[in-house]
Amino acid sequence: MESLNRTHPPQFKTIEHVDIPRSKQEVLSNQIPVHIIAGGSQDVLKIEIIFNAGLWYHKAPLIAGTCNSMLNEGTEKYSAAELAEKFDFYGAYITYNNSQHDASVCLYTLNKYLDETLDLLEEIVKHPTFPEKEFKTILNNKKQNFLVNREKTNALAKEKFNGIIYGEKHPYANVFDAKVFDQLQLDDVKNFYKDFYTPDNCHIIVSGKMNESVLPQLENRFGATAWEGKVSDYQPKHELKSSSAKKLFAHKKGAVQSSVRIGRPLFNKKHPDFAGFMLLNLVLGGYFGSRLMQNIREDKGYTYGINSVLLSHLNSGHFAIITEVGTDVCQAAISEIYKEIARLREELVPESELNLVKNFFSGEMLRSFDSPFALSESLRGNLPFGFDNSYYENLLQELKRVNSEQIRELANKYLQEEDLFEVIAGEIKA
Amino acid sequence: MIEFDKFTLDNGLKVIVHRDATTPLAAVNILYNIGARDENPDQTGFAHLFEHLMFGGSVNIPNYDEPLQQVGGDNNAWTSNDVTNYYLTVPKENLETAFWLESDRMLSLDFTEKSLEVQKSVVIEEFKQHYFNQPYGDVWLHLRPLAYKKHPYQWATIGKCIEHIEEATLQDVKDFFFHHYAPNNAVLVVSGHVETEEVKQLAEKWFGPIERRSIAPRNLPLEPKQTEFRSLRLERNVPYDAIYMAFHMGSRSDEDFYKVDLLSDILSNGQSSRIFQTLVKEKNLFSTIDAYLTGDFDPGLFIVSGKLTEGVSMEDAEIAIWEVLNAVSETKAGAYELQKVKNKVESTLVFSEISFLNKAMTLAQHEVNGDANDINLEVEKYNKVTTENLQEMARKILIKKNCSTLYYYAKKQ
Repeated sequence: MESLNRTHPPQFKTIEHVDIPRSKQEVLSNQIPVHIIAGGSQDVLKIEIIFNAGLWYHKAPLIAGTCNSMLNEGTEKYSAAELAEKFDFYGAYITYNNSQHDASVCLYTLNKYLDETLDLLEEIVKHPTFPEKEFKTILNNKKQNFLVNREKTNALAKEKFNGIIYGEKHPYANVFDAKVFDQLQLDDVKNFYKDFYTPDNCHIIVSGKMNESVLPQLENRFGATAWEGKVSDYQPKHELKSSSAKKLFAHKKGAVQSSVRIGRPLFNKKHPDFAGFMLLNLVLGGYFGSRLMQNIREDKGYTYGINSVLLSHLNSGHFAIITEVGTDVCQAAISEIYKEIARLREELVPESELNLVKNFFSGEMLRSFDSPFALSESLRGNLPFGFDNSYYENLLQELKRVNSEQIRELANKYLQEEDLFEVIAGEIKA
Repeated sequence: MIEFDKFTLDNGLKVIVHRDATTPLAAVNILYNIGARDENPDQTGFAHLFEHLMFGGSVNIPNYDEPLQQVGGDNNAWTSNDVTNYYLTVPKENLETAFWLESDRMLSLDFTEKSLEVQKSVVIEEFKQHYFNQPYGDVWLHLRPLAYKKHPYQWATIGKCIEHIEEATLQDVKDFFFHHYAPNNAVLVVSGHVETEEVKQLAEKWFGPIERRSIAPRNLPLEPKQTEFRSLRLERNVPYDAIYMAFHMGSRSDEDFYKVDLLSDILSNGQSSRIFQTLVKEKNLFSTIDAYLTGDFDPGLFIVSGKLTEGVSMEDAEIAIWEVLNAVSETKAGAYELQKVKNKVESTLVFSEISFLNKAMTLAQHEVNGDANDINLEVEKYNKVTTENLQEMARKILIKKNCSTLYYYAKKQ
């Protein structure tokens, strides 16, 4: 038997190109776009109706999110309890998602119950009744969750960080106080629904095992003859306003770890530097082998985890390093973070490291687009920017062309220490 | 129906292959039959600490993660009270890299003081992050020893206390490895875009030469039957009072498991469930509340846990929970209600089978706990459950003398 060489890695193939299945676009008679991603091994469908009804559009905190949640709380035909009963009986799931710009209702259903569950979805989207009792219950529960969450140093750090980079009132920060829960009026929530949950303000993404009955069903329930309403012409203006003080300490008495966020406001994925910065971000803190993880966790043992993220909003974006570290090593960890950033400004990333990161990212692409549901998730994020999922194929090609010099330039352009914001939430020990 | 092939190498390694050609990836999942329950009571947290050390380089490969990332792979692991599970995904073309890496760390680790010291610190930070720096984070550190007096489920996988982790030595680590990590104490599952022949060849090539090790049979103390109600009162800096109730039940492989699982579903699976409708929506006594099973391999727990609505007293909240629990003992559930939770189980299964990695993990757990094919018999087992069964289980399990209750009070400011 030939002897086994365990010290040398087996041959491998580099993923040069990722084939991302395209979505197909149809349109209902009232011009509602329907994006279709067909495929998958299971007889299931995900149908998501997405409205431009995120917190960008509300006039006071909580309105958009509460409106979205209240869709679940009763319709003209069914009470909240009846809706819940039916979804459970059909083994379907309904989720409500509310973000900065959009809000959605998303149905996951077995194909064999498509008829029955679409009927419920139609009710929820078109005929919610916003009952007072349910409003009080979910508002109180939301308030309690909010206050529990606030006890976490990482939630506190996130809130403070977004507040200083975007401005507390900006929808991208969305900072508010617990008393807002007691001030919210049901009428504001109802009006928000009338203004923004309209056929001319939405699009639909269908993914999973398609059959020919899906589109006609959607047309019958959400097409021109079935659904009326006109979106409000209210166009809010929100100004981004970073705080002039770049460092903030939020004290949480008795914390045994402090949460740290270091970063800055940045561009979104439409910017020419995005692909380059994405690669920089991967090298610094974007995967387990990243420099921050290797240094601060795997070499120093200061933390259970550290990573960095690059986040795209429709009108802006940000970069942030995120970690939770023992209070006794907090300052040491922060100084290592700045050292790693300085290394990116001063030294070239070695070719071998850059190649590894590019290979890892190709694998990530395969993982991210592994099912129709995952594809629908990415499509949802891309559509507002005017992209479909081919965006990722282009991004991968672009990212593969980025070289070490470009990364150093980007680090010098965007990651000067004086441009970075720093938030610590917790305790500091001397 | 999940189809798979199964074979065993001469050294005792069980190998399972599940083909799913809808993905361009392959998953390699290795489950070692060693968990926190196998720890010495004076050295808890060891199985989990050890999981961290498995990433510190192996005998022939100084760095585990780098070569995997180089071929587009990603990995992680988790430890439970029962087992330790390592998993990775790679583009299907690079499957052999996974075999090279996983077999080398089954062969032997590169034990170093540095790696041990660093991972002890990392685990201590993990301990703090999850158990001490979160509201309600320490619940399980108290609920476990309240419910278990003899069985090692009385400690959490993270360990009883930080000191146990601090005290671990390199010799302990080496002993642990050779006593528990072995081809004859593991299940390897490969799923995704793979062929059984290819996997067979790779398994023989990379894992075949690893020698069988002597594994002491598991001989854990049995938990004596609980005969009276237990309770513990804690006061913490949290915004709201909470209650945690733990009831003893059977093990994951018991036939009764399916009955108890559906009982917990009637109580708490989905918004139409009894607990949610009654205690959250109608009576507004809780802001969140759940009932679920720990699903442990040895006799586990049926848990009811909830956060009280502001202004509600612990006494009223507890009475209300008992009313809902007693109702399932006193009156048989309707046929419709039972059908509803059965439908939900079936649908959950269909949705969970979308992920090839998920399937690999589930197959491995069924295999180590009996037989991988049990995965395909579950729906039938659930379908056999009757409304009489639910009542019988409720009467047996959801009773006061089988209950340990943790009253978790918000400290008055």
